[in-house]
Amino acid sequence: MYFVSFVQAEDLSADGIRETIRKSISLIEFNSNKKVDKIVIKPNMCYYFHPSTGEVTDPRFVGALIDVLRMTFQSNPEISIVESDASAMKCHYVFKMLRYDALAREKDVRLVNLCEEKSKQVEMEIAGHSLKFNVPELLLDCDFLVNVPKIKYMHGVKVTCAMKNIFGCNAVQKKSVYHNTLNEAIVGLNKIMRTSLVVADGLVVNYKYTKRLNLVMASENVVAADAAASRLLGINPKSVKQLSLASRESLGELDFVPVGDFDYFKRNFPRKGMKENLFERGASAYLRLFHRS
Amino acid sequence: MNFGIIGLGNQGKLHLQNCLLRKELNVAAVADTSKHALEYATNRGVKRTYANYEDLLRDKNVDAVIINLPNYLHLESATKAAEAGKDILLEKPLASRLEDGEKIVSSVEKNDVKLMLGYSLRFESLFRELREKIVNGYFGEVEIAEATNISNGPFAGRADRIGPVPVPNWWFDKELVGGGALLDLGIHMVDLLAWYFGEVESVSSYLGYTFNMSAEDAATCIIKFKNGPLAVVNAGWFSIDHLISIGLNGTSRNFSAVFPPKKSRLRFIWNDFKSIVGRGASSSTAEELKYFVDCISRDVEPSPSAKEGLLDLRIISMAYEHASVLTQAKM
Repeated sequence: MYFVSFVQAEDLSADGIRETIRKSISLIEFNSNKKVDKIVIKPNMCYYFHPSTGEVTDPRFVGALIDVLRMTFQSNPEISIVESDASAMKCHYVFKMLRYDALAREKDVRLVNLCEEKSKQVEMEIAGHSLKFNVPELLLDCDFLVNVPKIKYMHGVKVTCAMKNIFGCNAVQKKSVYHNTLNEAIVGLNKIMRTSLVVADGLVVNYKYTKRLNLVMASENVVAADAAASRLLGINPKSVKQLSLASRESLGELDFVPVGDFDYFKRNFPRKGMKENLFERGASAYLRLFHRS
Repeated sequence: MNFGIIGLGNQGKLHLQNCLLRKELNVAAVADTSKHALEYATNRGVKRTYANYEDLLRDKNVDAVIINLPNYLHLESATKAAEAGKDILLEKPLASRLEDGEKIVSSVEKNDVKLMLGYSLRFESLFRELREKIVNGYFGEVEIAEATNISNGPFAGRADRIGPVPVPNWWFDKELVGGGALLDLGIHMVDLLAWYFGEVESVSSYLGYTFNMSAEDAATCIIKFKNGPLAVVNAGWFSIDHLISIGLNGTSRNFSAVFPPKKSRLRFIWNDFKSIVGRGASSSTAEELKYFVDCISRDVEPSPSAKEGLLDLRIISMAYEHASVLTQAKM
């Protein structure tokens, strides 16, 4: 079973976030002895949202993480921050709007649109579905993949955290082609691109409403991290298809060992009630029925 | 009456649906560069589709057109439609630049066609009733007014879509859009206030750049009306929540309201369902269309007219000219 840590940032200065990330990583007994030359950081930049909405990873969080990684790995590794174009989002704009371009300049790291990188086509079968992915060589060549997701809910997959974040590493712009096999695609991509470390940005979370939770959640395993995120959202991980599938595909276990103040964050996460969930399910079903686009 | 619809994006599709619900209207043709959009119209019974809108303008069967094109194409499309003798319902703003707006107005006058601007808020009962009350002195003299229109702007998820929507590249180019949140959303509120209070004396504004784009995504515009109040218009593209509100402070009464009063998604679903079962939605865009058709039939000048649209554009243009940038402001 993997550790999942839950640490609250006391202040949101660069030093404060850096210290919280450092503490969060140390709580999971992360072993930094291995030699690392190439690090890839994958934040969530799913759309043109402001980080204060809780929908995308805050660049300040990634900035602090870069400092921690440089302190942890003394080998002066080459660091890249990556994202890929999606059906509704273009990296060219999102990098600028979310100010990742300024962060990359400040921290002297590469900022990469994976759709513009060399990639390798990989085919695999997951739960009876044959799937094709464009896997960027940068991801295959890196020694260390840091997954920096948000903790969110999404219809169809329920929990979107570390595993869903890797879906954004598939160098295919029209990601909507996977929507009927989203759970399988998420699991397949996580089998190909193995996360070395999850450091979730829970500074601001958004479910029933937006809340400044100041949470940093870390784990060495994507399934454990997502199972923990699922618990925070008030959802039984066993009911999350991608998680049970991931567990069957030996990506990890649904049980995890919480360290830090898990109960505090569980109590304070802005969960939705049955009424809101029912309304949203009804609205989504209506839109899917009458407005298939 | 035979209508042609130019541009079948989100707004164009809405106009198409509204046209199809009106028995006195025939959608003779549509034009769009997207094959998918044209198929959408064909599936709804539109007989003639064009990939080039100039071909639609040459179609003798088309009496009037609804133009739903990007801002930078308003000048070209509206002047060509006027030259072709078609009456025009043009989505706001009149143009992306004041000079372009002036050219559209002179073309409309020269060719003696009608042009109405698509300011749908003017057809919402709340805003119509407010105008009546202002004119009738219900508020006394309005001294201060405030109007706000804040959302995600072009990045907003659409009610008929699940999840985020793609944003066409032109929205990211200030030259092509002509401005940011103030021109896109603020102009609705500027138009309402100018409709309520008339001539403008002075304009100043503050612009903000939350998202680091070339165009502003936050704006506060202060307008002094010659014979009316000091008004503040707030516009923003920065929020995932949508708010339209208005406040009027008069010598007799104060008033404030948020529009729409209920959650828009529920309202959308109800209106949408009514349109699907053929009952028609009582939306402001449907009312706007009905009024435009009525103006053409009775041969009267529609309002908001091209000239009113030009006045709004002049106010926005002054606001940009005299803007202070918030990010540079120092205490």
